[in-house]
Amino acid sequence: MVLVMLFGSPVTHAVDVITNISADTASITTTQLRRIYSMRQVKWANGVPITIFVLSSTNTTHQKFCKETLRLFPYQLDRIWNKLTFSGMGVAPTIVSSEKELIKAVKSTTGAIGYIENIDEVSDVNLLKIDG
Amino acid sequence: MLTCLKLMDKLNCKLLCWLGLITFNSLAQDNHSAEPFKIHGFVAQGVIDVDGSNFVNNDGDISLELTEIGLNTSYKFADDFRFAAQAVYLNGGNRYNEGLRVDYFLMDWNAYSSEKWQANLFVGRIKNTHWLHSSTRDIPFARPSIVLPQGAYFDGFRDIAVGGDGAALKLTYNNDEYGEFDFNFSRGKSPINSDDAEVILSQLAQGEIEHDLDSQASVYWRPVFSQWKFGLTLLDSEFNYEGETLDFFVDGRFVFQFYTMNAMYEGEEWEFTTELLQTRFLTEGFYAPQFHQDNLGQGGSFQARYKVDQKLTLISRYDLFYADKDDKKGQELEKRNYGTIPSYFGYQHDAMLGFSYDFSDNFRVNAEYHWVEGAARLNPIVLPNPLVNNQERWKLWAVQLMYWF
Repeated sequence: MVLVMLFGSPVTHAVDVITNISADTASITTTQLRRIYSMRQVKWANGVPITIFVLSSTNTTHQKFCKETLRLFPYQLDRIWNKLTFSGMGVAPTIVSSEKELIKAVKSTTGAIGYIENIDEVSDVNLLKIDG
Repeated sequence: MLTCLKLMDKLNCKLLCWLGLITFNSLAQDNHSAEPFKIHGFVAQGVIDVDGSNFVNNDGDISLELTEIGLNTSYKFADDFRFAAQAVYLNGGNRYNEGLRVDYFLMDWNAYSSEKWQANLFVGRIKNTHWLHSSTRDIPFARPSIVLPQGAYFDGFRDIAVGGDGAALKLTYNNDEYGEFDFNFSRGKSPINSDDAEVILSQLAQGEIEHDLDSQASVYWRPVFSQWKFGLTLLDSEFNYEGETLDFFVDGRFVFQFYTMNAMYEGEEWEFTTELLQTRFLTEGFYAPQFHQDNLGQGGSFQARYKVDQKLTLISRYDLFYADKDDKKGQELEKRNYGTIPSYFGYQHDAMLGFSYDFSDNFRVNAEYHWVEGAARLNPIVLPNPLVNNQERWKLWAVQLMYWF
């Protein structure tokens, strides 16, 4: 069992990126994360399809993740996802209602990726190191 | 009696769309999993009032002909294969034909995928994704305003421009130094019915208009971590009109070419968008066997949006369009038609102010006011109607409520 302790003060948590263990990766770059969340990369390096889980665009963790980690504004991602969904050209990420639900979805879905901010301890997922 | 039956048909169609949406919305609420089957949809109803043109109706009354309902599905049946389809019901008065349409119905093959490259091939009925707003032009919450700049997004061409039956290739390339590149190519044929001929050509047109295969291409580039995005698009299409024995018009051929370049800045509070266009419209025959006309039109729109807070966004836009770049005031047009078509049919400029307010994640109201000068983008475009459109300056306001899931 992989147990991951997330460090940080209880007041100002950083947003951490987690993946399903099948993603088989320990680190990721910001540009790669942007590619994944803007649906420009749909498979991991090992060929496993990527499934993205997000919180709603008005959720503060989602907003923090977009602005601080991806360096994008939430409306930019909404625009990309809406365009894909309503033109038939792609599939938008799956929206979940809470971080707990997001962790559960990432754990149980092959190739899944997500992010968390307010949960100090997770198990059975990869916590990715963001390399620049 | 006939009118009554037609009205019943319209109401039934609308009712069916609503019922379908309610059913599928409840299904979609349970869709927050990574299941391969996805359902999304939207419904929007508005009020629109036009003073001084037939943009929406001929009587100038306040109108509810601002309905847009859509439902789509996507089903991933293998790692690299997906099926997607969308049906929409639209009612925009004179802007386009009222009714139900299959917007897209396609197979998507993810032919190649790596960290840097992705190649997708789409086959079936495909939506035009080339222009800035072409794929979301009738998705109320995904476009910037209720009425889009008519220079580029002329509603009379909606059914022709929105997509067609054929194939499309999408290539995306990501470079850590130079940014993100998108290359799109498509070949297709738009389904056009006799009602479209009436909307675009004239109510006097008795014959059929047919769309030959068109070719479209576009390139988009976003520099690394930039707020800017730039695009270039090309369209080449041809239409043939086959007149009836008893017809006001003869056989004809229309060539429509359309080139745009666009730039978009997406900041935290401010957004700026510009889309410049040049269009070539060649007409051979149609009015008379020897008739020949080859016009180059030009235009562009400049749009600013300001996000006051998470809920309220203000928008302002100016849109210019000249049907013939060598006759910007339309004087030659009036002379050529012996004064029967006023010069203001040679251009159309639109200044717009509006706002959108989000009540929640998926419930919004849009409102806007347009001050328009000219009539070059009023249906029917090929044989204009100066009896109804007898004013150079006209105005419109619209308010639309929208919900999506």
